[in-house]
Amino acid sequence: MNYLDLTLSEIHEALVNKQVTPLELTKEAIKRAKENKDNAFEMIIEEDAIKRAEELSKHEVPKDNYFYGIPYVAKNNLSTKGYETNASSNILNGYVPLFDATVIDALNKAGAILIGKSTLDELAMGGTGTSGHLGTTYNPYDPKHLHLIGGSSCGSAVAVADSIVPFALGSDTGDSVRKPASHSGLVGLKPTWGLISRFGLFPFAPSLDHVGFFTRSVKDSAIALNLLAFHDDNDSTSSFKPKVDYLKNLSSDVKGKKLAVITEIFNSIEDEAIKSSFLKLIEKLKNDGAIVEYINFDNKLLNAIYPTYMVISCAESTSNNANLDGIKFGPYLGGKTYQEVMYNARTNGFSPLIKRRFVLGSYSLMRENQQELFLRAQKARRLIVNKCNEIFKKFDAIILPASPTPAPLEKGSNEKVRNDYLAADNWLAIGNFGGFPSITLPMGFEDELPFGVNITCEPFNEVGMFNIASNVEKNTGFAGLSYQNHLEKEVK
Amino acid sequence: MNFETIVGIEIHVEMKTKSKMFSLAPITFGDKPNTEVALLDMAFPGTMPRVNKEAVKNAIRVSNALHMTIDHELWFDRKNYFYSDLPKGYQITQQARPIGSEGYLEIDLDGEKKRIHVERLHMEEDTCMQHHFSDYTLLDYNRAGIPLIEIVSKPEIRSGLEARKYVEKIREIVTYSNVSDGKMEEGSLRCDVNVSIRPYGSEKFGTKVEVKNLNSIANVEKAIDFEAKRQSELLLMGKEVEQETRRFDEAKKETVLMRKKTDAADYKYFTEPNIPPIKLSEEFIQNAIDTCPELYDHKLERFLTDYKLNSIDAKIILSDVEFANYYDEAAKFTKLYQALANYMISEVNGYLNKNDISILEFKVEPKFVAELVELVQSKQINSSQGKEIFAKMVKENKSPLKLQKELGATLISDEETIRKLVLEVLAQNVTLRDDYKAGKTRAQGFVMGQIMKKTGGKVNPGIANKVIVEELKK
Amino acid sequence: MKKVNKDVLKDAANRLYFDMTDDQYETLLEEFDTIQSEFELMGQIVGVDEATPMTFPFDVSIDYLRDDVPEEPLKAEDVLKNAGNVKDGQIKLPKVVG
Repeated sequence: MNYLDLTLSEIHEALVNKQVTPLELTKEAIKRAKENKDNAFEMIIEEDAIKRAEELSKHEVPKDNYFYGIPYVAKNNLSTKGYETNASSNILNGYVPLFDATVIDALNKAGAILIGKSTLDELAMGGTGTSGHLGTTYNPYDPKHLHLIGGSSCGSAVAVADSIVPFALGSDTGDSVRKPASHSGLVGLKPTWGLISRFGLFPFAPSLDHVGFFTRSVKDSAIALNLLAFHDDNDSTSSFKPKVDYLKNLSSDVKGKKLAVITEIFNSIEDEAIKSSFLKLIEKLKNDGAIVEYINFDNKLLNAIYPTYMVISCAESTSNNANLDGIKFGPYLGGKTYQEVMYNARTNGFSPLIKRRFVLGSYSLMRENQQELFLRAQKARRLIVNKCNEIFKKFDAIILPASPTPAPLEKGSNEKVRNDYLAADNWLAIGNFGGFPSITLPMGFEDELPFGVNITCEPFNEVGMFNIASNVEKNTGFAGLSYQNHLEKEVK
Repeated sequence: MNFETIVGIEIHVEMKTKSKMFSLAPITFGDKPNTEVALLDMAFPGTMPRVNKEAVKNAIRVSNALHMTIDHELWFDRKNYFYSDLPKGYQITQQARPIGSEGYLEIDLDGEKKRIHVERLHMEEDTCMQHHFSDYTLLDYNRAGIPLIEIVSKPEIRSGLEARKYVEKIREIVTYSNVSDGKMEEGSLRCDVNVSIRPYGSEKFGTKVEVKNLNSIANVEKAIDFEAKRQSELLLMGKEVEQETRRFDEAKKETVLMRKKTDAADYKYFTEPNIPPIKLSEEFIQNAIDTCPELYDHKLERFLTDYKLNSIDAKIILSDVEFANYYDEAAKFTKLYQALANYMISEVNGYLNKNDISILEFKVEPKFVAELVELVQSKQINSSQGKEIFAKMVKENKSPLKLQKELGATLISDEETIRKLVLEVLAQNVTLRDDYKAGKTRAQGFVMGQIMKKTGGKVNPGIANKVIVEELKK
Repeated sequence: MKKVNKDVLKDAANRLYFDMTDDQYETLLEEFDTIQSEFELMGQIVGVDEATPMTFPFDVSIDYLRDDVPEEPLKAEDVLKNAGNVKDGQIKLPKVVG
């Protein structure tokens, strides 16, 4: 066993007890990163990470400073000073930011060691982990590379699931942390909109964007949120709410807690293993005193989630990415006029998928279409969020499988807009519509592939969310799950 | 056929805040290229806007001066378009909810007041500066993000003259409220005018032509008058006015075609998701208004009533807000308001003109100017001594009282000394006393002339007169 | 909702300063078919037309404004560090006309 196979809080204890040093951890993390075959990294930061680990190893590890000496990975759409940040898009090749994202800065200050920048779907605009400029990122649970891990935070999910690091940053605009977490047996959190600063996160759709992260336990998730949730002047949408200690408030007692299962979503799931695993979990929650009710949402509203998400996110993204013109940063490809300069940079810089998304978004915003597309999407968003808020008046949380299937096969998957998606495949986006805190954690396995359950609560009820998640974790016994640990257990 | 000219004006005013509209880059103007740039101004991915409080206060102040309704919640929108000078590919502006709406200002037309309604006032950010060379263009991002106020009039302006007065009034408001330098030549106040004509009595508007690049208030008037004439000639020849954008060619004194306008551009506006709605409390708004520097009309009123200045002088002083502020400061140290005004207009202004500097670069404390006026007016020094002291004062910024001592610039005021001088003159001119008593008052002047000659003009004339009369009567 | 065609989409793409291959336009047309029909269905949702468009996930209004205090600007060389075409301390473009 290696310390990297432990959870963040366990590694911290080992550091405090001098069983391991930041340098040993960092070297091992870099070694594992290099050995990984899943296409998880845009860049491995070796020299600087080791230098920093050496420096940190000279000092006593402060107790309760959980991130001190911990190697971690950040999605490559989080700005890192001095390290190329290209959002897995050719249009940003070679762009080296002058500044750190607020979350990177906070982790640096806490003593965490950035060992790599992870792959993502191009500009975070995808859910498969196949559209980044380095190609498909695979699921460590399938060494044959038939299965995907999902996106857009694909590389970060690999890094934690494959025990390269105990913690990785991602971003979540529709389900980009919580869906891959489901496919890779991880705890994936996106908190309330505004709780973690987005300063330095490359925007996809700011009204839906969240910084999120992967850990291997609910406790680690609470620890990470303790570090990263604070008001940041650099982000005008950053919350002013007083700080809450999520770790101190962590409890697995769910007596009297009211949980809602959305009937239409659950019923649309065909995967028997997921269904029965979920029903068993519900029974356990009930045994622990939770009150679980099946409620109806409204099929028309549920069917509106996907198109609403597509139009809002694409519309916002076409504007956010209008700064990518080859003039100020990114490859300059020349041209006879300034228009040609932009045209060359953008035609060559974006993949076909991204271009289609931009056209869709831009078309939705045009004067003659705005009422019927963009504004209708914003109106549907309101109705969906209103419906959720009604639920949260009566219930502490919504609980559902995070995905209707385990990790999908690469073959046959694409990012084309379709109308045969299940509500169960898209429902996590309501967490982005309403800015709700939402956490995915492992629930079971099917054919050696993990699948997850999700808990979503009303804004700023992270304590309630962790509470229920903690009980689920206790009942599933999946705390500390990683691919390595899973294999070892299987062997035993 | 006679045509009526219809003009609407859009004015962009560059604010003189210390930092930019949404970024913390400093604004000092005229600095080296790309030295006043923050991350956001380059549109680096992940940077986010932060609204400048002072810019909001400025917008409130100008809205208030224009009698507008002020929105108590700030909302910003994105105006999406691609251009080489637009770093983000969109401009943050206030499309849906401008901070100020529905106001007016009054212009003076030969003593008659005319009200011009103002449709909207909103805040936005400036683009970067493009320097054009023979075959390339260089981009300087210092200007990118400087706060702007855009003021849009209703199409109620009917001539070049009215337009000029309208722009002058806006300029006066933004300079007096200390919101902007308001310099058209330097681009801190920019005008785009929409000109159309229609037959008198017609309700329908004609085709609008937009005229850009007006770099002085005089050119606003000239461009509109030219454009009205050009359009009416077209119509009289049976031709049509085409919808286009033109610019004013200063050398030719005419408008020239820039581009034909196709269907209006689609800016695909939507709410800026990175700035939450910002609530402005009644106190905040009221405070911004209460702390607004005094506006022209109020200042003029005060100069006429409190200082009792004649209206011509008052208006001369008020033609430059900083000059007026200087006068106000100096007036705290003397009651000789009209004399101070005269002195400022002739001596101080003369000095500024001669050295081609503004009052802001005039390094003398206002108090000292007041002291000097007092010295001259009380005849403790004569005018040439006054000039001498002024010359030294502008170099050393020292009190005129001190300088008077240093220069020995005093007048003989001791009665006995003066009497001695008078008696000497009388002794040399024995008929003077008789002449005086016979009613030839010229004698008095003669004596004064003689003693001034003897002392090089350094006799206090008031005291001397008194002594001369006393002695002549003997 | 009116049908889109390739010309409309090509024009939209060009206004975004890029172009795509013909088969991409074909794919995009199919995608538009899907989205538009879904949006027509959404139009049937009770209350959707009357709802207020939602930008922010919940009431996020604030009463805070940043003070007008400048910070140290970027160094000029840093401003230009990532730009591909620079001359005399400024970004260089082909001559911008109009």
